[in-house]
Amino acid sequence: MIYALPLLAPAILILGAVLIHRRPDVPPDVSPARNARLAEGAALLALAVAVVSMGILVALGAGDSWLLGLFGAGLSVRLDAVSAVMLLLVAFIGWIVVRYARTYLDGEARHAYFTIWLLGTLAAVLLLVQSGNLVQFIAAWIATSLCLHKLLLFYPERIAAQRAARKKFITARIGDAALTGAGILLVAAYGTTQISAILAAARLGEGGSLAVGAAAFLAFAAVLKSAQFPTHGWLTEVMEAPTPVSALLHAGVVNAGGFLLIRFADVMLVSPLTLAGLALIGGFTALFGGLVMLTQPAVKASLAWSTVAQMGFMILQCGLALFPLALLHIVAHSLYKAHAFLSSGGAVGRVAAIRRPGPVAVPSLANVGRAFALAIAIYGAVYVGTGALIGFGAKSPQAVALGAILIFGVAYLLAQGLADAAPRALTQRTALLSGVAAISYVALQRIAEWGTGAALPLTPPPGALEWALILLALLSFGLVALAQATLPLWSHHPAAQGLRIHLSNGLYINAVEDRLLRGWSLGAKSGKGETQ
Amino acid sequence: MKVQNHAGFSGPHLELIAASETASRAVPPLWPLASSVAVNPFLGQSGQSLAATSALLSRVAGVPATMPRAWYAARIESGAITDVDLDAALKAAADGPDSVSALRAAAAAPDGEITALPTVAALAARASGIDWPGLIEERIGAWAAGYFDEGQALWQVTPGRGAYQSWQIFASRDLTPEIAGLAGFAATVARMPDSARTALSEACDALGLAPGAAPTYFHQLLLGLGGWAQLARQKLWEAELAGGTTPVTSDLLTIRLIWEKALLLRYAPQIGAEWAEICAAHTAPVALSDVQIVPCILQDAAERGAQRALAATLLSAGETVAEGRPSLQAAFCIDVRSEVFRRALEQVDARVQTLGFAGFFGLTASHRAFASDVEERRLPVLLSPGVSSSAISADADATDLAAHLAARLAARTQRAWGRFKLAAVSSFAFVEATGPVYAGKLLRDALGTAQPPAPGARAPHLEGDLPLEAKVAAASKILHAMSLTDAFAPLVLIAGHGAGVVNNPHASALQCGACGGYSGDVNARLLAGLLNDAEVRRGLAVDGIDVPPDTVFLGALHDTTSDTITLFEGDARVSDGTLRYARDVLAAAGVLARGERALRLPRANADGATLVARGRDWSETRPEWALAGCCAFIAAPRSRTRGKALYGRAFLHDYDWTRDEGYGVLELILTAPVVVASWISLQYYGSVVAPDVFGGGNKLLHNVTGGIGVVEGNGGALRSGLPWQSVHDGHALAHDPLRMNVCIEAPEEAVTGILERHADVRALFDNRWMHLFLTDASGAMIARYSGDLTWEDMRAEAA
Repeated sequence: MIYALPLLAPAILILGAVLIHRRPDVPPDVSPARNARLAEGAALLALAVAVVSMGILVALGAGDSWLLGLFGAGLSVRLDAVSAVMLLLVAFIGWIVVRYARTYLDGEARHAYFTIWLLGTLAAVLLLVQSGNLVQFIAAWIATSLCLHKLLLFYPERIAAQRAARKKFITARIGDAALTGAGILLVAAYGTTQISAILAAARLGEGGSLAVGAAAFLAFAAVLKSAQFPTHGWLTEVMEAPTPVSALLHAGVVNAGGFLLIRFADVMLVSPLTLAGLALIGGFTALFGGLVMLTQPAVKASLAWSTVAQMGFMILQCGLALFPLALLHIVAHSLYKAHAFLSSGGAVGRVAAIRRPGPVAVPSLANVGRAFALAIAIYGAVYVGTGALIGFGAKSPQAVALGAILIFGVAYLLAQGLADAAPRALTQRTALLSGVAAISYVALQRIAEWGTGAALPLTPPPGALEWALILLALLSFGLVALAQATLPLWSHHPAAQGLRIHLSNGLYINAVEDRLLRGWSLGAKSGKGETQ
Repeated sequence: MKVQNHAGFSGPHLELIAASETASRAVPPLWPLASSVAVNPFLGQSGQSLAATSALLSRVAGVPATMPRAWYAARIESGAITDVDLDAALKAAADGPDSVSALRAAAAAPDGEITALPTVAALAARASGIDWPGLIEERIGAWAAGYFDEGQALWQVTPGRGAYQSWQIFASRDLTPEIAGLAGFAATVARMPDSARTALSEACDALGLAPGAAPTYFHQLLLGLGGWAQLARQKLWEAELAGGTTPVTSDLLTIRLIWEKALLLRYAPQIGAEWAEICAAHTAPVALSDVQIVPCILQDAAERGAQRALAATLLSAGETVAEGRPSLQAAFCIDVRSEVFRRALEQVDARVQTLGFAGFFGLTASHRAFASDVEERRLPVLLSPGVSSSAISADADATDLAAHLAARLAARTQRAWGRFKLAAVSSFAFVEATGPVYAGKLLRDALGTAQPPAPGARAPHLEGDLPLEAKVAAASKILHAMSLTDAFAPLVLIAGHGAGVVNNPHASALQCGACGGYSGDVNARLLAGLLNDAEVRRGLAVDGIDVPPDTVFLGALHDTTSDTITLFEGDARVSDGTLRYARDVLAAAGVLARGERALRLPRANADGATLVARGRDWSETRPEWALAGCCAFIAAPRSRTRGKALYGRAFLHDYDWTRDEGYGVLELILTAPVVVASWISLQYYGSVVAPDVFGGGNKLLHNVTGGIGVVEGNGGALRSGLPWQSVHDGHALAHDPLRMNVCIEAPEEAVTGILERHADVRALFDNRWMHLFLTDASGAMIARYSGDLTWEDMRAEAA
């Protein structure tokens, strides 16, 4: 029964929400303080439960709890490396966000409302990531987006907030349907709702065409959840809700799509074609989001587009069957992005700091070429070095290719230092940082593979389709990396500025969506036209 | 009708172009947030009365320039406004209800209906059900954010183009309007003439706009663009200060007019006739009615109530100054936040003497910080830089230069890392390699252990070969202006102020306004350095200012969030005993000041101990109240106010008219610090009475754009003014919207003479944007300025 312990985490948060709901607005000076204390206390306790759960995993190994329910439906826990890591991540970011909101929302008339739905969302995500059975998984999945919807409409009178929430609502409901469909197919294929049993059977190659169908539905649900092109619209408008909501998205909400694919990795491997589709969508979204991000002058919009891109990268990793790396990505990106949103108020100071040390040294094409060569050399050295030290492990071509993509990114850092106008000391510094980044990346990758070895399937050897995808990814990411490193050389060409305009508008996906959903039509309550 | 060059404009077109120039000056400037200062939102209306401005705003923005009547009614109810105040306000008003009881009844009545004249966009929205004003705001915002971006986006809009040209390139490619239902907009824009002025004329022709309708219509369109038009106005301000000009504001107007034109063409059958009526309505003069007049009289009554309270405070028993040489002198900025600390400091030790002077301390410095190329204009925005300074002196030694290079290298490495973090493909590498580090950063910031940026460790140096005579002249002028020419203490602190806060887009608004939105440490240290210079002191002695050899001037920085003082001890040699004494009294004063401020701040514990950590909290939207509550400016010797609790609501400027031959110092005070204070006071006023038009919006939704300003959420309009959280604590207003009372202890004819010479300053008082009083040596308010260079004796009232 010890494996049921993680259930305490969502239970505590729900209890906190209920207590606040019962006394939301007793005297204005007393209640916010009491509610804020209560909420943070609950979040801290949930975090403690997550830590203990991790301890249980380390001490006793992976396992399932009993099912508290009937006919395969009810509450049960699957505790393994995937769920324990997600529990810890969600509870940690959850605590940070709750603590932040405690002061940030002070004085808001609907502070208690916010806290209740914040705790509700977190509880739903915690239930999701520890799910031992399909019914709980699907219910928690749906509950997450319903609770989030309440937060997106924290200022219900804001038309732009309504617009974003409506987009999200529609996307989410289609995603719910897809996930439910996947659940039905999984039960039909494997005859159980227990996730660990399904995964074990899938790993043995069972499931047949029903499992292939389930994989396709799972992929579709993941694409919708993680704001993949062209369903990313709502994510780029989510700053219509208070800042902590943007950070909360990274506590297993927007990245739940990736979690879904990782959780059902064994099922996904049944359908290589679905994985290839994911790789294509994810890869495209990553590059698309990354390019749009470059054009965004508002800090939260830039961060949101960066999230779109990073979610694309995560989906690409899943599509290449690099599940441990995708999990690493979820953890790394969530921590970074939650911090970036919560500290976005510092953008004024950061932009001002850019100008202080004088003009930026622009690397020439030759400098960039040297940077790429050097970056690949660094990667090779780090790879061989770590290989010689701790063994090469079972490096799949997919993983090597992904490493190469990341090293294209590191080349940009090197290029800045190699610019002719850059002083020698700057060259040394950026080279040093590049080396540190490469070592850190390889080390984290190894840790992720080692930590999830028991829970996640190995990347299968690539077939012709996978090789084609790998080459396509290398080529497209390589080109964009080259373009980004040489940006100052071409970005002011009239043709490039024309492209910039379309990119800055996100290729009009949002405009089309607004047209279809009548986002700019005047509702009965809008009097905005009068005051212009 | 089409004309190709400026010389060919027809008469009406020239009038329209002139109207666009006038309208450009009707909106207030907005300074970028990197170093922002408070701005009077009614700057363009200072030649008009509050009632006339209220009527104008009603027409162009649909908001009044006063509070809702219920607010005044509540003050009457609470006794803050008495019948005496109502009666006096009625008598002073040209028009209004017949009696006090009628005025009371009017206060209890509901607010009059106010609607702005609709724009074409508003009419089109009504006709089509599509939110055109919202879409226009979003589209112009999308372009403007890119155009004015100071470095947030890595892929920038090509710089160097005019605003109109840049927009034309953008809008002739942007497909959004067509997707939303305005077919052919991009082509329309592409066909517009290259010259903005020609385009403006063309658009006005298409709109059938007569020059007579232009002033309020243009004003309305520019105001509707929110902060973008105001940011453009600031570019114009800067250009004019440098002796030039820029068309950027009227370019924005032209852009907005092209939208109007396109929508009129699209919806002409439905809205054409109504639009013609609106044009006619714009031609009519702005009319005043009871809707504006009654609240303005009530506003005056509320201010009279506050003046009564101020008069009582000034007459209350003060503290007598200790005889003999002061143990410590400390000069602070006139900023209202200094008042609390000064009072506390004097309370700790009666031998301490404090002074108030504008926080740039008379040095209009253009400063370069350590390892920085950026010229920081640390001076009031009304002025141009007079001296330049740098954190590294021209004759720096090898160690200094090495440190300088190392700091620059670190900054450049950090910048390269920042670009690595934000670029398209490298951001993936960044996340995968360093993401887990952010667990630590989240923990650090959640627990509030990150420190706000500290003041520079290195003393600033004046640059260029300033001749000794110039230095002596400057030092002498500043000391005279501070009324500090004798009785020097052994240690004289020159204390600038700043606010140590984190994660706050509006951090610069908490810094020193007289230092251009930077903290005041540089100017304070420069002045202290100047006054410690032995040669300068010899020159001062010739001028009749004898600074004792044992007197040391020392720069300091008052952190207004934590009420702690940093002494720049390394800048000058001070004896250990004196230094220890100074540290002790300053620390004790900090405790008192925090305790007093804690009473007003939400979530502060009673003794104010949490205030020290407040600036480090990344989730804090109210780190301090800044100048909220400011309501008085007092220019008099400190002895008149010493020991009298003004609760951080008064600007205190030391001034002794008996030592001011020719009233040159008084002229300086009335034309510079008083004007700056009026900008601050009226910014608070505007942000409270018209938060949607002149307020900075909701901090919870703030999204920093271009490193220069904030928008709410995903929204298009840049916000100017103070955020709602800066004037409201969630339950009640933290600032009573009352216009400022300026109290001057000086002879009547001296003040009148200065007003006579400075029409701009006089307009502020004649139109009651501030109230002006004369005080006497007892602190009593003895005369009220009643406009047109006349005074009303108040001694009879008091008796």
